[in-house]
Amino acid sequence: MANAIEIAGLTKDFPVAVKGKRLRAVDDLSLSVGEGEVYGLLGPNGSGKSTTIKALLGLLKPTKGSCSVFGSPCSEVSTRLMLGYLPEAPYFPRFMSGLELVIYFGELCGLKKSEAEERGTELLEELGLAGAREQRIGTYSKGMLQRLGMAQALVGDPKVVILDEPTAGVDPIGARDIGQIILRQKEMGKTVLLCSHLLSHVESLCDRVAILNRGKLMTEGRVEDLLSDGDASGLLIEGLSEEKRVRLIAEVESNGGRVSKRSKSLSDLFMEQLK
Amino acid sequence: MTHTPEFETPNLSWSFRRAWLIGQNAFREAIRMKFFAALMVLALAAFASSFVFREFNFGASELKFIADFGFGGLSLFGSILTVILTVQLFLGEIEHRTALTLLAKPVRRSEYTLGKYIGAMIAIACFVASLTLALALALWIRETQLIAESPDLFPEGRVMRYGDILMFGVMHMLRLGVLSALVVLFCTYATSTMFAMLMGFLVWIGGQLQHVATEAWVASGTVVSKLGYAFVSLLLPNFHLFDIGDKIALGEAIALSGYAKAMIYGLLYASFYLTVSFISFSKREL
Repeated sequence: MANAIEIAGLTKDFPVAVKGKRLRAVDDLSLSVGEGEVYGLLGPNGSGKSTTIKALLGLLKPTKGSCSVFGSPCSEVSTRLMLGYLPEAPYFPRFMSGLELVIYFGELCGLKKSEAEERGTELLEELGLAGAREQRIGTYSKGMLQRLGMAQALVGDPKVVILDEPTAGVDPIGARDIGQIILRQKEMGKTVLLCSHLLSHVESLCDRVAILNRGKLMTEGRVEDLLSDGDASGLLIEGLSEEKRVRLIAEVESNGGRVSKRSKSLSDLFMEQLK
Repeated sequence: MTHTPEFETPNLSWSFRRAWLIGQNAFREAIRMKFFAALMVLALAAFASSFVFREFNFGASELKFIADFGFGGLSLFGSILTVILTVQLFLGEIEHRTALTLLAKPVRRSEYTLGKYIGAMIAIACFVASLTLALALALWIRETQLIAESPDLFPEGRVMRYGDILMFGVMHMLRLGVLSALVVLFCTYATSTMFAMLMGFLVWIGGQLQHVATEAWVASGTVVSKLGYAFVSLLLPNFHLFDIGDKIALGEAIALSGYAKAMIYGLLYASFYLTVSFISFSKREL
């Protein structure tokens, strides 16, 4: 599988108010995302996720290292033809209608106005905004803005979609819908880089995840591999009555085995890595 | 780490279309700003007040007073609008982080910068054109009234040269175009709107006094002071060059070569400031 995103030794320092001092936001980060993967980039606030995304979008120049998308350096403007980006808490001109905004961004991606209108109409319908497409953005709710943000990210038909907190401020139904949109992108062969604090969401959507802390890569790999504790004999048993469950636990323990009450979740792993 | 690139990225050439798209939206945003409408109303109110205050004008002709008052109002309100509007359109978008979404698209920083400048200039042009036409109309109405009241004071008919008044609007727009390009330059590295606005107003004042630096350059004795004055007078635009208001009010004829010289000067300075802005903004990290 060819790598859709390649980050090699990415380091980014920012100057701080104290003369000569610099803040290292990302520290020698290397990772690769395969084509068609949904990849989760996790980490607490200030862990370097946004800086990494900005470097991928060519909005920041790495202090060291490099980033590329399908082999094209991120410093090139043309690389962004392959990228769609949904920022965290997107803010759009309030005077425009949803459709106008998507057409505007579509045209900036090189589409003709008629193509952008057609694509925008389709996307807004798919994202459940068909009824509000002529409505001024100023009247949109947070969830609607997030969906509109998705529409503008997808309008140029990018090969790689970068989503920064797509479910921030969205209700559970909206979050589920956004999850479905992400899975649809995967089905269409798109690569998705997902940053989210909603770990259950990431766990259910991502093929692989990376956890960052203070700019460093703490761990990276397939979600199943990371969540298994390396004990291949671990079993998940369901559907037993209370009596049978107690008997089974006693049997396992009498044979030197151990039973944990619940399986490890991505949330557990996340907290472990940040200890 | 190795990888096999599968896609050929097309060579993305510089596009005026993208700059124009950004410019159109910047203009739409500009004319929806409350500040834009408020300044327009204030300027029109100031013009209207010149009819009231004409009674206090000692000696000067009434039409000259209205014209002077109008030119002054256009200069004052036009410069305020130019500085604040350009800063709001450029830095406002960066502060709201809308610029991140926009620049994450295949848009060059220079296209974005030029687009914002185009948007600001269309709005400024609308403002100046509206006020110039309002001033010309006010003068025409008053002149018509005065001719009817005292025809003996106007033996040769109308005295106001309305073509020159419209040319004042064109020259003023050019002057504000240079100012706007300078403000864009400040915006490309400023992190606060206050700083960019302050710098904008300072260069507006500096540009009005640029001829002082030029005179000092010529008169200066030492090499160091000569170089210093030369640097300041070349870096700052001479806004005085575009001011034809006095000549119009005094009824002096303005040579076509004078207009041409000021236009070339304005276009050169605006192009220079914009080119430096492109370079400055391309290095800015967002």
